[in-house]
Amino acid sequence: MPNCLVCYKWTLDEQDIKIKSEDLSLDSSRAKGKISDFDRNAIEEAALLVEKLGGAVAALSYGTAAVKQSLKDVLSRGPEKSYWVADASAEQADATVTATVLAAAIRKIGPFDLILLGEGSSDLFNQQTAPRLAALLGLPCLSFVNKLEVEGDVVKATRKLDDSVEVVTVKTPVVISVLSEINKPRIPSLKQVLSAAKKPNQELTVADLGLTPEDLAPKAVRKSVKGFVMQRKNIIFKETAAAANVAKLKESLASLGLS
Amino acid sequence: MAGIFIFSEDRALAAQLLTPALELKAALGEPLTVLALDAAQATELSTLGADKVLVVGDSATWIEGLGEPLAALVAHASVVLVGGTLRGKHLAADVAARLKTGMTTDAKAVRIAGGKLVATRILYAGLAVCDEELPLPAVVTIRARTFLAPTTTTAAAPIEQAVAKADARVTVESVTPTSTAGVDITAASRLIAVGRGFRAKDDLKLAEDLGKVLGAELACTRGIAEDEHWLPIERYIGISGQTVKPELYLAVGLSGQVQHMVGCRESKTIVAINNDERSPIFEAADYGIVGDLYEVLPLLTAALRK
Ligand SMILES: Cc1cc2nc3c(=O)[nH]c(=O)nc-3n(C[C@H](O)[C@H](O)[C@H](O)COP(=O)(O)OP(=O)(O)OC[C@H]3O[C@@H](n4cnc5c(N)ncnc54)[C@H](O)[C@@H]3O)c2cc1C
Repeated sequence: MPNCLVCYKWTLDEQDIKIKSEDLSLDSSRAKGKISDFDRNAIEEAALLVEKLGGAVAALSYGTAAVKQSLKDVLSRGPEKSYWVADASAEQADATVTATVLAAAIRKIGPFDLILLGEGSSDLFNQQTAPRLAALLGLPCLSFVNKLEVEGDVVKATRKLDDSVEVVTVKTPVVISVLSEINKPRIPSLKQVLSAAKKPNQELTVADLGLTPEDLAPKAVRKSVKGFVMQRKNIIFKETAAAANVAKLKESLASLGLS
Repeated sequence: MAGIFIFSEDRALAAQLLTPALELKAALGEPLTVLALDAAQATELSTLGADKVLVVGDSATWIEGLGEPLAALVAHASVVLVGGTLRGKHLAADVAARLKTGMTTDAKAVRIAGGKLVATRILYAGLAVCDEELPLPAVVTIRARTFLAPTTTTAAAPIEQAVAKADARVTVESVTPTSTAGVDITAASRLIAVGRGFRAKDDLKLAEDLGKVLGAELACTRGIAEDEHWLPIERYIGISGQTVKPELYLAVGLSGQVQHMVGCRESKTIVAINNDERSPIFEAADYGIVGDLYEVLPLLTAALRK
């Protein structure tokens, strides 16, 4: 019966982020928070495993003060308990800092048999946290998993890579990053949402975890974040007669040597 | 031993990494070492400007398990460039953690400024671009086709053995290649990308017919491959799929969400066919037709055939 931990990130929903046309800066004032997409798959996978095999699932997140908004959501998706580290450093954290904080928290609240994460977060998409966390904890790491089977202490994972599908086995404890195809995250039922409010959550402070300001200072510092704007011709043919539009497009393609 | 190191198990990508690596070598005045997966790769890469080649494994090595020995080999490096395959990204993050250093994922450009490495990359699935500044040593992954391989050859660099042992805790049961039968769409100079505007698999024939006339291969959005299974997985474009830079990207019945566009927005010319004038694809297009693909495609195929 696996004792599982899922690590997740509370991110801004990128759908609501707008690019300001004056200076291409990002306006996220309207953006709501969400559990990062692929982490939802990790939570679901842990929940499915425990529904099938027994065991337990806890959740862990490191974020700014906003991370508290995620507790009800995450607890309605299966985990029985959530741990959270809220610190202003998360705003500028890179994967080095995130993995350091998560590793310190896991040393305190662990050990776990399976530690699951999404392959990358929907904002930074560094795809670094799982392998880094494994290296810091001295555990093996199986990344980019789209099928997971657990039998006793043996984990069999199917990994989808650029040009191949690979099946690997490993003994627990192990760190696993999952792809979005691994499952379809549940939409929590009203009952699950209501029961989430009664589940325990525990704050871990960076001081509790013995982290120094140095541990919390990013190595990769993000500078000059700018909205990406495409420079395109935007010549759109929209007459009612499709044939007329087609004729114009044919002409344009010909002028580019593309017909 | 300061220095610049490169590694990729993907041969073409390893050669491409030498282009930014040689620029970093010039900027830092430090030697450039290639970590080659096997002897064949070592020979191939030895004449592209490196000062030394170290053979770290063989073709059977589980790349992701090389973190510990590679971190030891690059312990005094200034910059480590790793090919941004999924295996490569896993390995690079592991090495970066062991070196206790920063890493940029999928850099589009790298340079040295003020004694730091500055790497350009995307955020929010392509909505934004940013520069990340990293102290040295820095680890960077770079995806295929971000750079062209060097074209000038040099005298062969010495090749040495440094065989590394992969993490034995993980057992590889099987590896099944996925794209043996399929064409490499990343190499195609013209692509027709299809999206959910198509109502049935058979309707893709409309795009295939146009493809024959244009000499274009079919590509698609994620849903067409992952959910509908109408086209093979390796044909979907986007943040979680392929990145392409063809001469022509003809987007038909797809909405142009950023997660998709980030995989094709460096295409030379983008053309869109969509029946919704407000679809974001038109903002991303050089040319577009507002219309029903079921009407427009046959007409376009016929017109171009003439
Ligand atoms: C974390 C994450 C990662 C993702 N990664 C990827 C990725 O790598 N690649 C990817 O493609 N997507 C990805 N997506 C999904 C992406 O956000 C979009 O949902 C997807 O690309 C939309 O696919 P589509 O354009 O085929 O469908 P839709 O958005 O449904 O667009 C269909 C379009 O067809 C048009 N249309 C309908 N009927 C007709 C007609 N008869 N004639 C002409 N036009 C018609 C409609 O106007 C519409 O614009 C990702 C999403 C997330 C959250």
